[in-house]
Amino acid sequence: MASVSSAEPEYLPSSVQGAVKILVTGPFGVGKTTLVGALSEIAPLRTEETMTAVGEGVDDLTGRPHKSTTTVALDFGRITLSTRLALYLFGTPGQQRFWPLWEDLSRGALGAIALVDSRRLEESFDVLGLLEEQRIPFAVAVNRFPDTPAYPEEELRAALDLLPGVPVLTCDVRDEDAAHRLLIDFVDHLRAGALELS
Amino acid sequence: MSRSPVRPYVITGGRSRTGRNVLEFESLVRTVPGVRVDPLVVNREQLTILELCRELLSIAEVAAHLGLPISVLKVLVGDLWELGAVQVLPPVRPAERAPLALIEEVLVGLRQLR
Repeated sequence: MASVSSAEPEYLPSSVQGAVKILVTGPFGVGKTTLVGALSEIAPLRTEETMTAVGEGVDDLTGRPHKSTTTVALDFGRITLSTRLALYLFGTPGQQRFWPLWEDLSRGALGAIALVDSRRLEESFDVLGLLEEQRIPFAVAVNRFPDTPAYPEEELRAALDLLPGVPVLTCDVRDEDAAHRLLIDFVDHLRAGALELS
Repeated sequence: MSRSPVRPYVITGGRSRTGRNVLEFESLVRTVPGVRVDPLVVNREQLTILELCRELLSIAEVAAHLGLPISVLKVLVGDLWELGAVQVLPPVRPAERAPLALIEEVLVGLRQLR
């Protein structure tokens, strides 16, 4: 995987007229950075954003919620889709304490790929709830770790309480071809959703 | 010396939002060719942005290359935009363009990559 660096900028072709974005989200350590790196045409980049977050479950004696400043690392990559359109992929942490950042990140996004580790499904509950609540079109992608047990799709669906329209895809995100197929399958799913609405 | 957490907001003159112009993570920025800015109205970071953006880059990429938070970049680039020193290409939004046509354009682009 290419390292996150402040290398020379890799410019977009001057004919590009605008960009779209897709979010890659999920709990810490699920493989977001790896997936973004496998898909990106440029060395993946990282930027840090400071965020004032309301503390979780911590109240001081005055009854005011405890506030703290958190730094969120965002990994992202890029794909030039045509002479006029570029796609950005933002690795977006899914934990509840990062939700203030979501408003900015999700605005205008085509959709989100929610990476899931089937060995620790409960860590994905937060982010799936958020995606449903914000009505962001999404698919679940199970990252196939070497020791990932192959659960039947129906069991995963039930455990994650997914709505029928949400596809469950599987991918070893370290494999560039598999990652590419995952992205195509996801956009194909978005297309089906848009067809229904049109 | 380690970077102080307040420094970025000193760079932006204490502001966290810029004026009327809206910038997003994936907004694309390019310095207007041959533009000359009064060094008294821009700061060092903004001069670096003008130099870096001689060709198209997103706000997020500029932030990563300069090691500044995206929120800070939005303010600095917003000022340069108001000065007419940079050109900004806003994101292509499914809400503003037929979603089906846009998604199909993405799909065609992805399929052509392999």
